[in-house]
Amino acid sequence: MSPATQSRGKKITAPDNLYTAILAVALLAVLATAGFVAYQCYTQYETLFKIQ
Amino acid sequence: MSTLTKVLIVLLTVASIFLCGVVVTYVASANNFKEMWENRRDSELSAKQQRDQAKEDLNTAKKLMEEERTKLNGQIADLNSQLSNLDNQLTDAITARDEARRRKENYESILADYAKTVERNDQLRTAALKAESDLKAEQTRLNKRLEDVTNALNEKSAIVMELKAKVTGLTLEKTALQEKLDKFLRDYGKITAQAGPVTIMKEAARVAPPMTDIDLNGKLTSVDLKNNVVELSIGAADGVKEGMRFHATRDSKFICDVVVLDVEPEKALGWLELLQDKPQDKPKTGDAVSTNL
Repeated sequence: MSPATQSRGKKITAPDNLYTAILAVALLAVLATAGFVAYQCYTQYETLFKIQ
Repeated sequence: MSTLTKVLIVLLTVASIFLCGVVVTYVASANNFKEMWENRRDSELSAKQQRDQAKEDLNTAKKLMEEERTKLNGQIADLNSQLSNLDNQLTDAITARDEARRRKENYESILADYAKTVERNDQLRTAALKAESDLKAEQTRLNKRLEDVTNALNEKSAIVMELKAKVTGLTLEKTALQEKLDKFLRDYGKITAQAGPVTIMKEAARVAPPMTDIDLNGKLTSVDLKNNVVELSIGAADGVKEGMRFHATRDSKFICDVVVLDVEPEKALGWLELLQDKPQDKPKTGDAVSTNL
């Protein structure tokens, strides 16, 4: 059995929320970084995806 | 959830956060290249405009420079021609100056010769004037002597004519008497004897000719007591000579002696000697002078 199957069969406990929070923090950090980069790119180059 | 998953989650989170931090740091500190590019572009555009303007200015300046160069070349050519003219003029002026210097030297030498000639002529003239005055005095003296001799000759001629007439008369009378005498003696058988020659008496010693005084008399015509000279009224024509001594008198009283310094035909200049102290005994104009007292 894989650890994922094993984890789906059990009840959700607080350590699972911790890691979720950790992942959420990581996700937020990445999203914030992406947002920050997009903002900087737009303000500086006035474009996001094209190269003018 | 397995431990590995947890570890991976943690690592993923850490790595994500780390990478996000790096990215954020990098993006925040990165240069705004667009802005920089735009600025550089604007700078380039302005620089290009300035370059074009500078090129136009350069072309304009080149044209002006060419025109100035042409003008200056023309001026240089004119100045060169003026310079060559001035050089020629300078050469001519130097030649003229040398010629003038040569002429000046010639004139100076001619002037020096002329001055010498004038000086010699002055000397000759002075000598000639002196000779002329001497000759005039001599001529005057000779004329006077000629007159005297002519008068004496005329007198002697008259006497000779008279004596000749007398001799002629006496000869005729002698002839007549001789004829009478012969006629008388012939009657008695006698004739007159021939006259014998007359011998000339030779004298052993002759008496010396008697001496006579010079006996020249004149008057003082001008008196200069300051310079001690006087002027006499007689000169070379009367027989005055340099060095002669005259005695000045007034009313038979001796005044002073005058020694002749210079003689002219009609007058003479003399130096006063033996002057007396009293003012009334000084020589005056009109005093008589003579060689013999």
